Amino acid sequence: MQLDVTRKLGRRPTPRPLPQPPPPPPPPPRGLAGPAPFPLPQGRTGPATGHRVLLAPSLRVILRGLKAPPKARPGNPEQVFQARPLLAQQHVLGDRNLEGKQASEPLLVTALRTWMEKSLAQPRREVVEETGSPWQSLDTYSYTRYHPMEEIYQWMIQISEKYAGVATQHFLGMTYETRPMYYLKISQPSDNPKKIIWMDCGIHAREWIAPAFCQWFVKEILQNYKDNPRIGRFLRNLDFYVLPVLNIDGYIYTWTTDRLWRKSRSSHNNGTCFGTDLNRNFNVSWCSIGASKNCQDITFCGSGPVSEPETKAVSSFVESKKESIVCFLTMHSYGQLILTPYGYTKNKSSNHEELIQVGQKAANALKKKHGTNYRVGSSADILYATSGSSRDWARDIGIPFSYTFELRDNGTYGFILPAAQIQATCEETMEAVLSVLDDVYEKYWNSDSADKVTPATVVLGLLVSLVSIF
Amino acid sequence: MREAETGRGRSRLHAGSAAGLEPRTPVRPGPRAAVNRCAPRWPVRALPVRVDARRTCRVDLEFTAERYGPEVADGRLGRCSARVVFRHQKPRPAVNVTCTRFMETSRRRREDFLLYKRAKRLRAPLGATSIPDSHGWIDPSLRPIWDLALLGSSYVMWERTTQTLQYYMAQLSSVNQWKTNEDAIDFDYTVLLHEFSTQEIIPCRIHLVWYPGKPLKVKYHCQELHTAQEGSGTEEGSAVAPTQPNNF
Repeated sequence: MQLDVTRKLGRRPTPRPLPQPPPPPPPPPRGLAGPAPFPLPQGRTGPATGHRVLLAPSLRVILRGLKAPPKARPGNPEQVFQARPLLAQQHVLGDRNLEGKQASEPLLVTALRTWMEKSLAQPRREVVEETGSPWQSLDTYSYTRYHPMEEIYQWMIQISEKYAGVATQHFLGMTYETRPMYYLKISQPSDNPKKIIWMDCGIHAREWIAPAFCQWFVKEILQNYKDNPRIGRFLRNLDFYVLPVLNIDGYIYTWTTDRLWRKSRSSHNNGTCFGTDLNRNFNVSWCSIGASKNCQDITFCGSGPVSEPETKAVSSFVESKKESIVCFLTMHSYGQLILTPYGYTKNKSSNHEELIQVGQKAANALKKKHGTNYRVGSSADILYATSGSSRDWARDIGIPFSYTFELRDNGTYGFILPAAQIQATCEETMEAVLSVLDDVYEKYWNSDSADKVTPATVVLGLLVSLVSIF
Repeated sequence: MREAETGRGRSRLHAGSAAGLEPRTPVRPGPRAAVNRCAPRWPVRALPVRVDARRTCRVDLEFTAERYGPEVADGRLGRCSARVVFRHQKPRPAVNVTCTRFMETSRRRREDFLLYKRAKRLRAPLGATSIPDSHGWIDPSLRPIWDLALLGSSYVMWERTTQTLQYYMAQLSSVNQWKTNEDAIDFDYTVLLHEFSTQEIIPCRIHLVWYPGKPLKVKYHCQELHTAQEGSGTEEGSAVAPTQPNNF
């Protein structure tokens, strides 16, 4: 595996030389109100095989250089993160790497990658609006409240601990402000190859109901896959990849500074202007329509296609898995819409009819729950023209089922949807997503038999019947 | 869950038609037939639309009106039909709406007066207090403030709406003045409007004066972000034709 160190370190304005012997890491800042600092994974162990990693001296030198804390960004003196010394971690590896696959990369490389994933960028302490006491366990996590990023990070760790066999946390990339982006992979170990369902939430910072839904979705799948046959059968052939917050910097900014912020927090024009609309930054008809080249605009498409680290992280990953991804769902608010491609043209995708049919069925299922009306159509038809959207990009790299969901409401509260509506919104949206998954599942796996009907089995069946004739 | 539809509060009527709707019963359009090419892309459903040579765009709507608010169980008030005419993509469409009777006049007057009494007793939090807060919470005691803010905003939004621009009130961001010592409620506030097709947030300073039974008076000034135009205007209740735009 090629280690792309610079990609993992995220974007920096100028390249930094490796420092000499590092200073000791600064103590965590004191006196900030709010929940306890993000629990640093001290002495954390991975999936069990019980080996300890011994590092070559040369590798230790490299790691020391990497772990020195970077300079704080101008204007954010408090946001310095600390890296943890590698040897404080116990990386548990054996013949298999942490994903349980036969190790195809050297142990030391795995150790480095794992260390970078777990410790290189600790999420910072943020001043959160609500100073409640942090919950202790997943049992008391409230899915009907909005959570600040720090709590979502903690939640992800707890999910991957509690559901260790089936839910794992993975590093996707770094945000502009060098925060780690993690996704959850929900997958039942099995020998058969799986198809992938991708879901991301919170590409637009102010759309808080979306990350709330991603968390709800994960909870529903994990709490019910054993007892609920509908969900259980999905996990036989499907893996879920869920990115609860895509635009982490922006999301945090809506908690600390501006509730109605939409874009990322990248700096432009010499620090005079901030933020790219990440959903205009994908490489599909980039900035051709419905987007702006002016950083001051709220639909600023960035300095170029996939110019933003968040977009790059999602793009690279989805691209690398595109043969397996059958469904790409991106969650937004508000408007109560299920949108199919495209936004950049009124032309329709090759499977437009099917997408509309599946979407309409999902809207019907949604409405049955609490009576909420959703409309279904292509973005250009029922919303407005957009270019560079993740949904359009996903469709154009070949992912067949690609939808944008615009959740509640219709404008009464808009982005600031009352927390009292989280439950109902998530319940009805869950019905819609399950409906889409049903249709996707039916399409690729025959519902009558447990196994996929492959050409091989058909030929075998023909041969057998031919033989029996003679 | 009762459906919450478009937050447009289209209570502004064409001058000369029936009196404007009172506070407490803002109109919420409900779902209907498909939108087509002339109509803006709003969550509101419209019946087939006419475009004619003079580049006017006429939208005929049917919708249900309902009360909104957490305390209202069955909010249904009645049905309405409306004709909205946009000319040359200009804002401030002509609106002609007729509704089935929402409630008896006496009950409406009573409810207005109750709102008025609550508003008079209210000590509004002056300065920057977001209503709702970030989590969508509106303290029940502050609810009248939000209701009146929405009412004033609906006038502003109507003035700015075109075929392609549609507005919603995202948040009341500050109460600059809340005077109730004389008879009327004198309310000066800043609101954040969300324009749907551009996704921009537009701060507007609004000054409304309300006394139940009398026409509402609205003056406003909206900040345009970096396009040239700043928008401002004065509105009175529907019995009076709009006056010249007026900065304050």
